[in-house]
Amino acid sequence: MIKSNEQLDAKGLTCPMPIVKTKQAMAKLEEGQVLEVQATDKGSTTDIAAWSRSVGHHYLGTVEMDNVLYHYIRKGTNEPEVEKPFERTISINEIESRDGLILDVREAAEYAFGHIEGAKSIPLGELEARLDELDRDQEIYVVCRTGRRSDLAAQLLAKNGFSNVYNVLPGMSEWSGKLIKQI
Amino acid sequence: MSGKTAIIAANGGVFDAYKVFNIATAAAASEKEVRIFFTFEGLQLIHKEGMHHLEMPEGKEHVAEGFKKANIPSIPEMVEMARELGVKFIACQMTMDVMGLKKEDLIDGVEVGGAVTFLEYAKDASPTLTF
Repeated sequence: MIKSNEQLDAKGLTCPMPIVKTKQAMAKLEEGQVLEVQATDKGSTTDIAAWSRSVGHHYLGTVEMDNVLYHYIRKGTNEPEVEKPFERTISINEIESRDGLILDVREAAEYAFGHIEGAKSIPLGELEARLDELDRDQEIYVVCRTGRRSDLAAQLLAKNGFSNVYNVLPGMSEWSGKLIKQI
Repeated sequence: MSGKTAIIAANGGVFDAYKVFNIATAAAASEKEVRIFFTFEGLQLIHKEGMHHLEMPEGKEHVAEGFKKANIPSIPEMVEMARELGVKFIACQMTMDVMGLKKEDLIDGVEVGGAVTFLEYAKDASPTLTF
């Protein structure tokens, strides 16, 4: 299963109920969190995508399993504010030819629906608790969707003694290479 | 795109009711301001008694089975949901006079107004829909 912050059971409901329920469930989430909507209404895939666009959420994708559709939406499109940008940056187009580790700090569901081959997933919110999984001497290229979460992650790493850290700009939103799905 | 949706409900059958309330709740769930102007037969959709007995189009009575099977909410439930989502209802004064309907005959919270009330709201609404 793809990891999400909340799950909504909208199975057996028809249009417009999955959307109505999704709206209500989304109101309870915090910015940046991911909602999983379980639905059997076949029209819900295009509806959820269109609704997300129209109200300003980020529709990540849909998985179908045993006749149930699992839709994933990340709340809001605003990324965190960065007070003082991390200085060492690299363009997303340059990282493929480098040897270091690509660290993807987006939510697990965003990673699942498309990431760079070989990238390691640690969502920004979990990074501080999972620093042990990383090598302090390795070159680390931190990537998110637009470069903001990865900036905060790069600063966090630098503060914890990682010296070879780069913030990848702008981020996955401009990645034109191959995308690996893990769903 | 406008943040307002305007709907005219001018017919009183079950199909008409679903068209009106489906679009209205979907628009409201998409954070649009929604107002429905109920006129002529459309007043049945918010009539305290009438809304429970809306008719299927002639020859389509068998579709009632389909509604049940697909687990579609009833019209009174759709109305309640629309109101919870903030959809506003306006009943046409002129038609109420013609049909001998009083405000008490309609569900609570309906605003009674004339054509100008609706036009004023709809002048910058997009889309404006008629059912």
